Amino acid sequence: MPHPDRPLINDAVRKAKNQLFLVVCLLASSLVLVVLVFMLTTLVRQGGGHISWRFLTSYHHDDNPAASGILPAMAGSLVVCLICAAAAIPVGIGTAILMEEFRPKNRTVNWLHQLVQLNVNNLAGVPSIVYGILGVTAFVYMFNLFGVIEANKTPQFEMGARRYYQVRTIAKEYVWIPVQDKNERTIRIEQPCRALTVQGEPLELQVIERGAPPPSDPADLARTVYRGSVASIFNQHRFFYAHLPFGTSVLSAGLTLALVILPIVVISTQEAIRAVPGTLREAAFGLGTTRWQMVRTVVLPAALPGIMTGTILAMGRAIGEAAPLLAVMRGVISNSAAPANLMENSATLPVLIYGWAQDENKGFHDLSAAAILVLLVLLLLMNATAIFIRYRTEHNTRN
Amino acid sequence: MNGDEEALEATAEVNVGLSGLSAIAAARAAENVPAGAARIAVNFEDFNAWYGDFQAIRQVNLKMHANNVTAFIGPSGCGKSTLLKWVNRMNDVIPEARASGKLRLGETDVLARTTDVVALRRRVGMVFQKPNPFPKSLYDNVAYGPRLHFRMSKSDVADVVEWALRKAALWDEVKDRLHSSALGLSGGQQQRLCIARAIAIGPEVLLMDEPCSALDPASTARIEDLIFELREQYTIVMVTHNMQQAARVSDYTAFFYEGKIVEDGTTNELFTRPRRKQTEDYVTGKFG
Repeated sequence: MPHPDRPLINDAVRKAKNQLFLVVCLLASSLVLVVLVFMLTTLVRQGGGHISWRFLTSYHHDDNPAASGILPAMAGSLVVCLICAAAAIPVGIGTAILMEEFRPKNRTVNWLHQLVQLNVNNLAGVPSIVYGILGVTAFVYMFNLFGVIEANKTPQFEMGARRYYQVRTIAKEYVWIPVQDKNERTIRIEQPCRALTVQGEPLELQVIERGAPPPSDPADLARTVYRGSVASIFNQHRFFYAHLPFGTSVLSAGLTLALVILPIVVISTQEAIRAVPGTLREAAFGLGTTRWQMVRTVVLPAALPGIMTGTILAMGRAIGEAAPLLAVMRGVISNSAAPANLMENSATLPVLIYGWAQDENKGFHDLSAAAILVLLVLLLLMNATAIFIRYRTEHNTRN
Repeated sequence: MNGDEEALEATAEVNVGLSGLSAIAAARAAENVPAGAARIAVNFEDFNAWYGDFQAIRQVNLKMHANNVTAFIGPSGCGKSTLLKWVNRMNDVIPEARASGKLRLGETDVLARTTDVVALRRRVGMVFQKPNPFPKSLYDNVAYGPRLHFRMSKSDVADVVEWALRKAALWDEVKDRLHSSALGLSGGQQQRLCIARAIAIGPEVLLMDEPCSALDPASTARIEDLIFELREQYTIVMVTHNMQQAARVSDYTAFFYEGKIVEDGTTNELFTRPRRKQTEDYVTGKFG
């Protein structure tokens, strides 16, 4: 028993070191707090006064900060994030289920499996601008596999578009004639034909000679044109309108962001799945489930809160990303309305903030701060939802 | 899915309107397995099993009699749980686990590549060491298996749930809170729920891997009573570390040591007149 013979370490010194460590930790954490408070006060002082109903509901006016607002950017961010979620969540969760629950027995396949895992882990650390460049080649141009989109040319591969020739009747009302050959941009009307009113009601278009007396009935006037009238093509794009390649559009942007957050979704889902006790899997297998039935009825319900929390945090990352959007959507900030279909380009909050912050007109700098405040509030709401879900499930499992 | 699966569904449809229990009985008939008719329910012949290079089971020959309780005893790591888990091929999830020799469940070759594990596990229920109810309601726990395997009406499912819970001696305690979470039950109740869940699909064999090791003495006594009653209908194979438990509830006992069967026979004989010194030392507590 050598211990009693040895000198004791000085207790006072040990305690002093303990105190010193505590002080260092406190300083470090208060530094974080100071930065946050400084940032918030600066933002509120600079931008707080600019947040108004008008600010939230109007769009960017060049050289007129007083009239500018963030509505299209908010709508753009929302649409981009929805597309991002729709793409990243199923793919991410599917990948995570494969990685965790379908580990192959075969050695070669298992090697591939581990390669995918290594990739997922590494992709989580890739800078987002790199994803932006990838998005430009893979989504905006699609490696030029489908040709190049030119102005005033109909894309070769498309969906969700209706085309009409538009012509004015003698009553000065527009009617629409369905298009047969979409490469014919204008037609001359020589024969009576089927057409639609602007409201979409069908009608039979009548043709009379130029100079002939017009029909007396106003209802007939509304469906009569002079022979040789010129009708020009008119595109009606539905909200899911899309063509190949995707071009600079909210769809390209959403898919690019999906790539950015995909590794995060995969990893957080994997963690949630790993947290499900193995005894539950045994119980399900013991009752004769197939692997998929086990996953669907036992693992996914138990892991769902964790998956949701991770996914919401990933969406928080997506809504704040500027770099990939600058690359994919070319930093557009001036659209005056929300994007009407998948192929439209739009401002988003981070890009608008970036654009305003470097505008020559100093008036926009304050607006930039105000937009940051709005973005922060959105982020805070999303994170609060995530925390709430976590809290509620912890509460539920304890009972 | 294979042919007998289709036949199963067909029978289940014919039986709409009958109770859920008769649906299960009919399903059994469709599988050509008269319950309790075969005297030897599970038969190991020259059975060996490995985890990778480690041989966990060596040359086991063992017959388990239908409608009897067979207990596996032996020190930790002697392979008794491994042997149990081969009966319903639970070892399939472990990539490096493999086995050789013959293992028959009734007429079915369990180890055959063509054996459908899902169908096999419908015939072999399992209860685990730690109670592992799903984080669902009591009702959904018991209804899980029947819903998985049989096309049943809601009232049939309700019948089966009540029957299984009565059989597991749990009905009277929980009939007023069937739709509350199973995690709210005590450990002993949870284990009886797991037994109810296992018998709700109408298995022939029930495997129990130390079913009482996580329970207090009172709950253990209730489970033991239950096992005693359940053997009327099921062939029960249980692993236990508790010598008294093996003596109390089992009809046959097999003593394992280092992957081999040292001695097996009726529980009465093995405990009162062991043929081998090693067995005697173990059952009297001199080693183990």
